[in-house]
Amino acid sequence: MRKRRRRHQWVNELDNLVRGACGGFLFGIPLLYTMEVWWIGSFVEPIWMLGAIAISFVVIFLINRTAGFRKSSGIRFEDAAMETIEAIAIGILCTLLMLILLQEITPQVPLDEVLGKVIFEGIPFTLGVALANQFLSGGESDQPDQSDKQAADSAKKSTRPQNTDELNGTLSDVGGTLLGAAIVAFSIAPTDEVPMIASAVSGPWLLAFIAASLLISYAVVFEAGFANQSKRREQQGLFQKPLGETLMSYLVSLMAATVMLLFFRQLSLSDPWQLWLTFTLVLGLPATIGGAAGRLAV
Amino acid sequence: MSDVSSKSSDSSESSESQEAQSAPNPTANSDQRTPAEWLTFSIASCLLIALISAVIAAWIDPRHQQPPLIETEQDGAVWESSGQFYVPFTVMNTGGGTAESVQIIGELEINGEVVESGEQQIDFLSGGEAEEGAFIFSQDPQQGTLTLRAASYKLP
Repeated sequence: MRKRRRRHQWVNELDNLVRGACGGFLFGIPLLYTMEVWWIGSFVEPIWMLGAIAISFVVIFLINRTAGFRKSSGIRFEDAAMETIEAIAIGILCTLLMLILLQEITPQVPLDEVLGKVIFEGIPFTLGVALANQFLSGGESDQPDQSDKQAADSAKKSTRPQNTDELNGTLSDVGGTLLGAAIVAFSIAPTDEVPMIASAVSGPWLLAFIAASLLISYAVVFEAGFANQSKRREQQGLFQKPLGETLMSYLVSLMAATVMLLFFRQLSLSDPWQLWLTFTLVLGLPATIGGAAGRLAV
Repeated sequence: MSDVSSKSSDSSESSESQEAQSAPNPTANSDQRTPAEWLTFSIASCLLIALISAVIAAWIDPRHQQPPLIETEQDGAVWESSGQFYVPFTVMNTGGGTAESVQIIGELEINGEVVESGEQQIDFLSGGEAEEGAFIFSQDPQQGTLTLRAASYKLP
């Protein structure tokens, strides 16, 4: 019994951290795809970096008094202060990994530029971490919505595969994914960042893009414990298994990304297929994250 | 893995769900941080301290006070492809501060006359950073003298 509790404790904490990181990705991904923020990081003075950390500490602290990324977070002064430090650390770490993936941080980039980029990209990300519990109509811990529960119950009852249910479930998955992908990626698709990032990545980095997209998408829907997570696990449809759904929504998001790129004339029929592939995978990352959030919202 | 937590919140009434979430706490006391939370906090503190120390180190680095010094040089041999001559170059900021809009000019002089020139602009060049590129000429640079230089930059 005790052992189980202890195990549960670590799993619980991991869930908290994953939820924080997912909130950060939802909030921070558009700015990670903004070259002006990379540039601010390139030239900003170290004294400003310290100022930025101090200001964000105060802001995150105030947010943590009411929100935070832990379900059972206390709102005492020291709890909020500790959670602020953790939120900033999650933000900085995830931003660093993302900037490495986007090839904005490489071994050739000098240290002060790395610091500037990580700090200025990390701060909006940290805001997302601190707001994680507020995303998507609150976590499931606070006041499980009656209609949500009913939906989950009715989904549970219909254990026999019914074709209409499956079709509806699948359609609502696809619809939610498209909606979320459009909200996040539509504003990124026409920008110069897509060709810029695409020109910097190749071969193994593209595989890393695919891996990161799938991982974040899976975490947002099935691990972060955002609203409707239990409902998602009950969802009927062709792709009701978490892995299948993640894969399916990734493919839908990639298709959405390609359509958006075509719409904004970033891609044309005369372009080589490698360009289509790279652009699509680069825009596919924000599209997938948006799509994951979209499926939770629908 | 979050199956367990979702089940617990399903079975509890809405007012008690907050309690249900903190139930796994070993002492069932929300004031107490679990070892897992302490581990997170210590790692997080170390990361933040490392970050702030690195910023301070960058701040007091004497190199940082110096103005940008831009050096441009040919980087490797000239190669030819379909009648065009490619001259690879490296531009490096050996100074301290960041230079913005660094303009690189390559000029090919044959018989004392500039016959061709090329221009390139680098958005940002931090202290110690190097960027690479190439100028393309239609005449063989080995027939004359080639000058690569940084023409201008602005401070951000």
